[in-house]
Formats: sequence, structure tokens, C-alpha cells
Amino acid sequence: MRSTNMEKDKMDRRKFLGYGVAAGATFGAARINPDFFFSSAYAQDARPLMCLSAENITGNWDPMAHTTLSQFNIEGFVMGFLTRHPMMPEKPDEVVYELATSIEQIDATHLEIKLREGVTFHDGEPFTAKDVKATFEYGAQPERSRQVYPGMADSFEVTTPDDYTVLIDTTKGGYGAGMFIFLASYLPIMSAKDIEGGPNGPLSQRLNGTGPFRFVEQRGNDTVMEAFEGYYRGAPSVPGVTYAFVGDATTRMLSLLNGQADVIERLEPEQVETLEKEPDIKLNRAVSVENKYLWFRCSKPPFDNPLLRKAACHAIDRDLINQIMGTAGEPSSNFVSPIKFGYIDLENYPEYDPEECQRLLAEAGYPKGEGLPELEYITSVGFYPKTKEYGEVITALLQEQGFPVKLNVMEVAAWNERLYDRPGGGPGHMIDCGWTSASPEPDLVLRTHFHSSSKRICGIVDPEIDAALDAERDAPSLEARKESLQTNLMPLLAEKVPAYSLFTSVLMHGLRADVEGLFIYPDGTMDAASTTIG
Amino acid sequence: MAFVPVALLQTYSEVPMFVVRFLVRRLLQGALIVFLVSALIFTLLRVVPGDPVRLMAGGMAPEALIEKIALEMGLRDPIYQQFGRYIGGVAQGDLGQSFVRPANGAAVGGASFDDNTRAARAEVWDLIAQTAPMTLQLALLAMVFALIVAIPIGVAGGLRPGKWPDRLALYLSSVFISLPNFWLGIVLALLLSVKLNLLPAIGYNGFAYTILPALVLSVEIAPFIIRTLTVSVANVMGQNFIDIAAVRGLTRNQIIFRHALKNSAIPLLNLLGVQFSMLLGGVLVIEFIFDYPGLGRLTINAVMQRDFPLIQGIAIVTAAAFVLINIVVDLCATAIDPRLDY
Repeated sequence: MRSTNMEKDKMDRRKFLGYGVAAGATFGAARINPDFFFSSAYAQDARPLMCLSAENITGNWDPMAHTTLSQFNIEGFVMGFLTRHPMMPEKPDEVVYELATSIEQIDATHLEIKLREGVTFHDGEPFTAKDVKATFEYGAQPERSRQVYPGMADSFEVTTPDDYTVLIDTTKGGYGAGMFIFLASYLPIMSAKDIEGGPNGPLSQRLNGTGPFRFVEQRGNDTVMEAFEGYYRGAPSVPGVTYAFVGDATTRMLSLLNGQADVIERLEPEQVETLEKEPDIKLNRAVSVENKYLWFRCSKPPFDNPLLRKAACHAIDRDLINQIMGTAGEPSSNFVSPIKFGYIDLENYPEYDPEECQRLLAEAGYPKGEGLPELEYITSVGFYPKTKEYGEVITALLQEQGFPVKLNVMEVAAWNERLYDRPGGGPGHMIDCGWTSASPEPDLVLRTHFHSSSKRICGIVDPEIDAALDAERDAPSLEARKESLQTNLMPLLAEKVPAYSLFTSVLMHGLRADVEGLFIYPDGTMDAASTTIG
Repeated sequence: MAFVPVALLQTYSEVPMFVVRFLVRRLLQGALIVFLVSALIFTLLRVVPGDPVRLMAGGMAPEALIEKIALEMGLRDPIYQQFGRYIGGVAQGDLGQSFVRPANGAAVGGASFDDNTRAARAEVWDLIAQTAPMTLQLALLAMVFALIVAIPIGVAGGLRPGKWPDRLALYLSSVFISLPNFWLGIVLALLLSVKLNLLPAIGYNGFAYTILPALVLSVEIAPFIIRTLTVSVANVMGQNFIDIAAVRGLTRNQIIFRHALKNSAIPLLNLLGVQFSMLLGGVLVIEFIFDYPGLGRLTINAVMQRDFPLIQGIAIVTAAAFVLINIVVDLCATAIDPRLDY
């Protein structure tokens, strides 16, 4: 009996497990939200607009520290712009004045911007001319990646005669002040107080703008914004916007179909076919400011030879690519989108011509491709539609002409790591990428990529192209600039093809049918100030 | 009959020592396993292509800056030196900081090369601690669903071997195991969420969001439980003590629930342990499809972003969980059947 009594006091295996199970159950019960049992998951009244993004953010909120589309989209909700260019094909020149009330070119090198009064930033600071001055000057610092034209901060001067007037003088840079007209719709206006803190200050920690929605927090993959009651055009109807990164295209579509998402972006052509049949869904199709390019690594052999680059272009049948893209692509024959300033269908744009390809190959010293090293062509899957599919077509077409091409398909992060030019040339020999910017300004593409001071992806250093880029930038008027672009720079680029523009992207967004009043710009940013749901 | 209590008393008096010895031995073995897994993952991550520094610093960063950051972080040292430093930190509970994720846990890509927010990078342990309970909740619910479906079918099949319940169990298992989980996930989301509007499907905003992914996972696990139960119940029901029980006057229900099921539980328990551990890995696809913020989605993003410290941390925690689950399973098994000795 003594042993039996001891047994009661001892921890045996069964007791040990019993206590373990009890502890587990207690922990598990604490995780269950009792609301689930009493309220429907769908029971929601005034709710924020839920947008799903195909791309992640950078983790640094400084608008001048990235070139990431998803973050541009978030800035579109939060930040204010001097003007906006809707760039609709039917009204390509339309300008909507937001923080600016007028922009006047006084002469070739002087510009006057009048600002709206009574606007405040989300942190309560009033919006004045000093914020515009600080934004232009900060954006033109050499280490910032957003603003790469018209020149660095030492090439122009910004003065503020009063709180609501900004004068821009480009005499020092020797280029036209008109360059700032298009810049006005591209640069989000930041608070001078934030900028004073520099790149290590509040700019990198959160967004602070004058837009319709106030940045609240980053919650995991969700960027949470709420309606800004003090918005100068009146408080938005929806209580907020949640902008979430969801990596899988099917998941995004299912979210739209079941009503969890209100807006999804970057629809694949097959998804468009599915969603077109759904009565609760509507589609937004917009020819975008984005062209998709085959970038040649121009700073290393063999594509440092323009003859070889042009031969490769003549090997590619873009009609086949456009067939693959279907509704997601629009044919174009220039290095910028048709809705950009200065666009023209270039007469000398390289088209599919196997004979010309062979002639150029021979002239470059590689008859039928003999002697060429193995060429790596890098592309990505998961963000841009159909990249793998048309990448395979391009590879086959190039191989047909004797280019020993190997296609390397990567997930987005690995591709992104290999994207940009490096000393000695970027990885591989060709890489697929698109480029977009929320402005009609063509230099946001042309100067960014083809001037030797920037040469982001292709790495080209060509004095002739530099001179042509400077010439159009320095033109005294918009008309003279357009002529310089169309008769000098763009034809020159078509001769040297540092990159081959394959087509213009068509942005396809899926929206719930009860979402009204949402305007989607051709770069994918949205104006939800007047949006209603249901 | 007098010898039985004596034997029992001896067994019970040895229990605490047994538990301590068992735990110490198994934990030491587990620590070795976790160490080996860490070494393997650490080495593999460093020999695959892809420079994490370029992802951290951004695509436009000059090569000199890349090298500077890499040197500062010790990423150009020999692998054994890097591993030594890392495992030293792990021993002190420091799994390091994510290469790319900020403290708010967002999935991020490259910023500009002078990105100054590095100081605000998330602790790996915090990221895992935020997501692991979500995965645990998903795995537990999936297990509950699987048991609810599998126990009646499996037991019925085992009680009537060769008859229609047995065949039904076999056919159902075959159908369940043939369904690819990514396909089933999409179909169930379309049916239950889009068409019938019964359940939310994407993301997480409350317990209801766990149900659909758990259902998909349970379909993946149920066939194993059904087959194990069918076989083990059939086996137990064929043994002598079951026949004798009927002679002792026990009803059929008493025989099944008091004797047959209890004796069939050991193989099931071992299976559940393995299945639960597998679930922690199997949630990768499901969490990605349903955008469920658990360890699986965290792992996929970490792999895609070459976030070495996060991948290593997840591997260590998952390996440790695997070891612990198996220890618990073995303890449970000995509690059910004291004859077992581990």
C-alpha cells in the first residue's frame, strides 16, 4: 500500500501527457477568435478599398530611393503631385492641375509654377513653395535613383518669391526649363521638413504626402492607408485603401472573384477571358507608358558591336510576340510608349528580316553566327505576363539565324538581382525588362537608359547618343524638342539599338463591378479620391 | 494474479527516471540532428548561385559597395568560419537578422544601394515567432479535419475487411491521394468561397480564414490515416484477446472502443507524428495559394529573396519541431502501451 500511495504523488507518463495536452489545448484555445462563431466573415459595411499587387515593396519609403512599380502605386494614393497627365489616347495632351494651379514658361530657361493654397501634408504641415523647391533639389541629387533628368541639382536653380510661387531657372544647365513641365507629374511632392532629415530621416520610415489617403502602417505584406479628412478636394468616400502584395496570379484572381479584393493588377490574357464572363467583375484596359524591351549588354562583347545588335533585332518577328501577348500587348515601333511625348512610328525601326540579319552578321564578322560565344538571355516569370512564352520564341528565332542563345528563366528576385549594368557589363548578354513612368516625359526612359551618365541596364556609352540626348533636352521649346526627338535621337537609337523595344504593355486591371469612380493611370497608379464601393 | 500488481508497482516507481533518461537521450539526439541540418542548409545556401548582398544593396549598387558590405558582414570568409559564427549565435538564441525584410515583416525587394533602413531589419526569431503559430493553427485544424473524416471510414473498413466499407475506404483514399493540393485548393476556393460564398479564402483576417486551407491539407493527410486505421483495426480484430472478450461477455461496442481502437492507436499515433511534421513542410504550396501568412509563405519568399538567415532559421526551427514532435509521439505511445521501450 505504501508504494500505491507514492504512485499518486509521482508524475507518470500518463499524467505527463495529460498535463501536456491540457497546456496545448489552453494555448490553442487562446488563438481562436471567438468572433468567428458569432459574426460572418463577410459581414462588413464601410470598408477600405482592397487592392492586390503583383510586386513587393522595397522596405524603404523614400520616394526617391527606388524604381519599384508597386511602391509608385502606393505613393499614388498618398502623395500629391503638381499636375497629373491622364495620357488617354483620345486626349493625350490633357493636364490636370493638382498642387499646381498653373505652369507658365516665361522664356526658354525660366518657368513659373503657381501653387494651390490651403493644402496640408498628412502630418499637419502646410504645403508651400519650399516643399516644391526641396523636392526638386532632393530628387536631383546624384545618389537618388528616381529623378535622372534633366540634370543634377547643380544644373538648375529653384527660387520661391512667395509661399505659393516657384521659379525654375535652367540657365546653368543650358537646357530648356520646359523639361520641368513633365517632371511636375512624375515627382511626388515631399515635405521640406522630412527632406531636411535626409535619407536617414523620416523619409525612409513612412510616407507623408498631401494625397487623399494617409499612410498608417505596413502590416506584413499589407500597406494600410486611411482616408485623409483634410484632403483639399474633399475627404474620400472609402474609409481607406489596403494595398497588399500577393505573389500568385491565380490567388489574386480568386480574391477578386470572391469579393475579398476590389482591384487586382497585371491580369494574364487567359484571366481576362475568364473574368470577362463574370457579371460581378469589370475590366480596365489601358495602353500603358511601359514598353517591354530586350536589353543588350552593350558594355561587353559581343553586343558592344551595334551591327550584331541590329542583326539580332532583324532576327526577331515581333508579330509572333504580339500574338502571344494578345490583349496584354500593343504593337509599337519606338523606344517609348505611343502615349509618351514625341512618339512616332520610326521608319528605320528594325523589323523581321532574315536576309538583313545574315548580312549584318557577316559584316560584324560572324557569318551565320559562326564564332559567336554562347549567349545568355535572362528573363523572369511571375511579374510580367508571358515573358517565358515569348522568351522561348525569341530564343528560337535567334537560334534559327545562328545566334547560340540559351534562355535562362528566373524567378523575379533572382532576375532583379541580375538586372542592372555593372562594371564590365551586367550578367548575361541579353535581359528582358519593362520600363514605365507616370509622365509623358520620354527622357524618363531615353536618358535613363541610353545616356552614358545613367545607362541603367544596357550599359551603353556612346558619344553620339549622348549628344542627341543633350540636343533634344536643350531644345528651346516643346515643338523644337519634339522635332529633335523624332528626327535625330529616336532614328539614331533605331540604328544603334542598345535595346530592342518589343511592344507596349497594356495594363489590365480587374475590378469588382460595384467599385465606381476609380481612375487608373497608364502607369498603374490609381486615383481613388472619388471612389465608392457598392 | 498476485504477480501483476508487483510488476505494475515496479514499473510505476521507475517512471520519473525513465522519463528523464528518455528526454535527455532524445533531446541530445535531437540537438545533433538540428546541428547537422543547420550545417547542411548553411553550406548548400552558400554554394547555390545568387549573391544576397546584391539583393540587399539593390541592383544599381556599384560593385565596390557590394564587396564592402559583403566583407563587413563576413560573407566572403570561408564557409566554416561563417558557420562557426552563426552556430555560436544560435547557441545563444540569436538566429540573426533577415537580409531583406524590414521589422514590419513586409516582403520586400531591392531598394537603392544606399538604403539606410538596414538597421531596422527584422530579427529572424521575430519573423518565425509571428508566423509559426499561424502554421501550427493551420496544421492542427487540418489534423482535426483529417481525423474526423478518416476515423469513421478507417475503423469501419477495418471492422469489415474485404467488404464494402473496406473497399470504400480504399477507393476514397485513392481519390484523395490522387488530388494535387494546388488544384484542390483552387477548386475548393472557387466552389466554397467564390460560388457559395461560405468561407473566405485568401489571406488571414480571423479564424475563418484557416478553414479552407486546412480542408485542403486534410484531404492530403486523410488517406494515410484511413489506410493505417483500416489495416491496424483489421489486424487487432483478428487477435485472440478480441475473441476472448466476446466470451467474457463484452458487447461489440465495448470490444471495439475499449480494446480494438486502443490497440490500433499505436501505429496511428506514429503516423500522426510523422504526418504532423510533414505538414509543417507541406504547407508551402497551400500557404502560397491561399496567401496564408504562415511559415510556408515566409519560407517561399525567403527562398526567392535569397534571405539566407531566414531560410536557415526556418530550417532549424522546423528540424527542432520535427524532433520534439517525435519525442512527444514516442511518449504518447509508451503511455498507451507500457510494453514499448524507446
